Amino acid sequence: MSSAERTVQVLDNYEMDARLWRRGRNALALLALGGWAVLAAGYSSGSAAFYPAYLLAFVYWLTIALGALFFVMLQHLSGAAWSVTSRRVAETIALVIPLSAVLFLPIVFGLPQLYEWARPEVVAADPVLQAKQSYLNPRGFTLRAAACFLIWGLWAVILYRNSVKQDDGGTLELTRAAAKWSAPGMILLALTVSLASFDWLMSLDPHWFSTVFGIYIWSGSGLAGFAAITLVLLAFRRMGMLRASVNHEHYHDLGKWLFALTVFWAYIAFSQYMLIWYGNIPEETAWYHERTAGTWRSVAALLVFGRFFVPFAVLMPRAAKRNLAVLAGAAAWILLMQYVELFWVIMPVFRTEAGLMWIDVAAVAAVGATFALAFWWLLRRHALAPVGDLRFTKALEFTNV
Amino acid sequence: MADLAITRELDAPLVVGEPSYSDVTESVSRIVENKMPRAWYIAFGVTATLTGVLLAMLAYLVTTGIGVWGNNQPVGWAFEITDFVFWIGIGHAGTLISAILLLLRQRWRTSINRFAEAMTLFAVACAAIFPAVHVGRPWRAYWLFPVPNEYLGIWQNFRSPLMWDVFAVSTYATVSALFWYTGLIPDLATLRNRAKTKARRIIFGILSLGWRGSARHWRHYEMAYLLLAGLSTPLVLSVHTIVSFDFAVSLIPGWHSTIFPPYFVAGAIFSGFAMVVTLMVIARQVFHLEHLVTMKHLENMNKVMLGTGLIVGFAYLTEFFIAWYSGNPYERFTFINRALGPYWWAFWIMVSCNVLVPQLFWFKRIRTSIPAMFVISILVNVGMWFERFVIIVVSLSRDFLPSSWGHFRPTYVDILTLTGSFGLFLTLFLLFVRFLPMISMSEVKSTLPRPAAARGGER
Repeated sequence: MSSAERTVQVLDNYEMDARLWRRGRNALALLALGGWAVLAAGYSSGSAAFYPAYLLAFVYWLTIALGALFFVMLQHLSGAAWSVTSRRVAETIALVIPLSAVLFLPIVFGLPQLYEWARPEVVAADPVLQAKQSYLNPRGFTLRAAACFLIWGLWAVILYRNSVKQDDGGTLELTRAAAKWSAPGMILLALTVSLASFDWLMSLDPHWFSTVFGIYIWSGSGLAGFAAITLVLLAFRRMGMLRASVNHEHYHDLGKWLFALTVFWAYIAFSQYMLIWYGNIPEETAWYHERTAGTWRSVAALLVFGRFFVPFAVLMPRAAKRNLAVLAGAAAWILLMQYVELFWVIMPVFRTEAGLMWIDVAAVAAVGATFALAFWWLLRRHALAPVGDLRFTKALEFTNV
Repeated sequence: MADLAITRELDAPLVVGEPSYSDVTESVSRIVENKMPRAWYIAFGVTATLTGVLLAMLAYLVTTGIGVWGNNQPVGWAFEITDFVFWIGIGHAGTLISAILLLLRQRWRTSINRFAEAMTLFAVACAAIFPAVHVGRPWRAYWLFPVPNEYLGIWQNFRSPLMWDVFAVSTYATVSALFWYTGLIPDLATLRNRAKTKARRIIFGILSLGWRGSARHWRHYEMAYLLLAGLSTPLVLSVHTIVSFDFAVSLIPGWHSTIFPPYFVAGAIFSGFAMVVTLMVIARQVFHLEHLVTMKHLENMNKVMLGTGLIVGFAYLTEFFIAWYSGNPYERFTFINRALGPYWWAFWIMVSCNVLVPQLFWFKRIRTSIPAMFVISILVNVGMWFERFVIIVVSLSRDFLPSSWGHFRPTYVDILTLTGSFGLFLTLFLLFVRFLPMISMSEVKSTLPRPAAARGGER
């Protein structure tokens, strides 16, 4: 006699309107088609900008999905109630991760174009790269990436399935199972995100190394994930979905998280910069030198102000976090800054001057619309919120003091 | 009935036995109003003696010189800096519990925050001794502050993290003390109201700053508390971050590492919680507070230890990996030397105590076993002391030039000063337990379920 006796207080329609869904699908499909067409044109014209643009777009969208996976595990581990009504959206964003294994393939084919260490003639002339060859080689790179995708995909699917099972009646076992899976999941997420950051981003400058780099990328990823969840929920709200289930109280908390993670990102990014600046060892400063030369300097300045000071000031007041228009603006801005940051991390290796190219935009649209299409498609298969979760009522009742 | 089981699991009451408001007041206040148990006097005798040892060692040091320690070239920083970082770290549980857990609405913090915050203050007091005497001429320790000194025109180096440390630690001590005191005010008023002697009434009357518990008072109090929590939150990160800068801004392999700031912070919280568990396990038993500091509280603290211990393990792993990945021969050597060099034992004590042993907390049976957590929490603090020793001493003993390598050996003064600092910490702690309510009565009451509260009277 578990769940049958408890009545779930239905406030919203937890199913998406079929017409709305079709309209969304068509728009996303159109965007994806357009994006891929332009991208294919760029590829076939032999543009050198193709692979970097693609890598950037891929990492950008994947870090958002990983941030959502982080959100899901964090809520299960801490036993939070406030976030329950928002959790299905996060779970569904994370669920697109298995698709990224396929979208990663172009990068595998483009290794020599992207990474110095994958060019035999460069390695032959560089003793340091030879010393690193046991790690930085195409086969190892691909295998490690595969392991990462396997782990992320597995946890995204397991946690999603577990959550969906609750829809027909939550039980303590399911709540416990979610927490049990999340504990090792969090450890693996930390290890794999670090590893992926080293492999995919840090090894773009194969001589450079920084121990905090994995946490640096992770902090940005978490922030972007939380911002994406906030923004999707706000978009749903406009479309008339989850209006009562995710209300100002929940947005207030999401806003607090955006604020906290903004500060955490700044803390990590500043620590890394400060220690390298202070140490002033050429092999370490080279990375920042490359990224503060010419027009890249302005991008670096934009990050300092745009990624830290602006959201910090905007999200500080309580009223701002409860003003949904302001919150939506802040979340969108944070997502934009995540792109700017990854642009600044990746592109200086390939371009001497900062500047957006048409192929960058096409890649972001193509990869993003593909992920979004998967998200949209997965969204319709189950309720928009984990209605059977034992903490669901508590989440609905939640208020900030 | 299933519903009841679910509620019990998801919304377990934070205290057991459904105490009323007056039960809480009674269980906490009677400790400071009655005579201490015999064990307290014995413990106080021991710790006061150890404090005497500390004072004797410091007197010997100041009158003789830094040479009484084992420090020498190339290991110019050894025990005293290790002890400094160790003690600063211990304090972090208090700040985390009082600030971050408050903001995260972790209401279980109410039974342990007072206790942990007091430990923060005493740990900072212990920590501050070491850099002050390490300057060699402690009567000139005020030169650390940017105030006019005998040699006008000599300014402190504002680009030095040692200077930032002075600001970070003094801010930390100030804000922690304010936070602690603000939290104490309602409880001090309770003690004033219960006072049976005139002296107590006057002392607690002054200390409670005229608190009458009116709605207005509470409103201001809650706001002040929240603001202090907001102010303290960056301090949880900043203090140990700046301590880590002391090392990381240098060029010594094993010190110069960008992961140091978050890694040091996690380690500090790890060791702080371990210390809280060690002392709480004893205190709740001796003073019969098992219903207020329940197994749930201890289990939660053990979970925090497991989590932060894993972060520390993650940092060890990353450092080793990057040392290898860097291809830099000095980096690689440093880490091989750590694990297999002359101080291999220190490294393996650190790894076993900080990474391996806490894994036992994955098992609920161990997480909820008092003897197990007591032993593990002590081992964690042993491991965390050795972590700082490994970072500081081992890295300095062998750097770039083999011709300038050396081996550090502590003198008895080093060892007795460390031992004595435990004496000071525990003495202050015992005094706290003797004179002030070690559990925040007013905050625990706020977590009581309504019906039980209605049954008892408010005092």
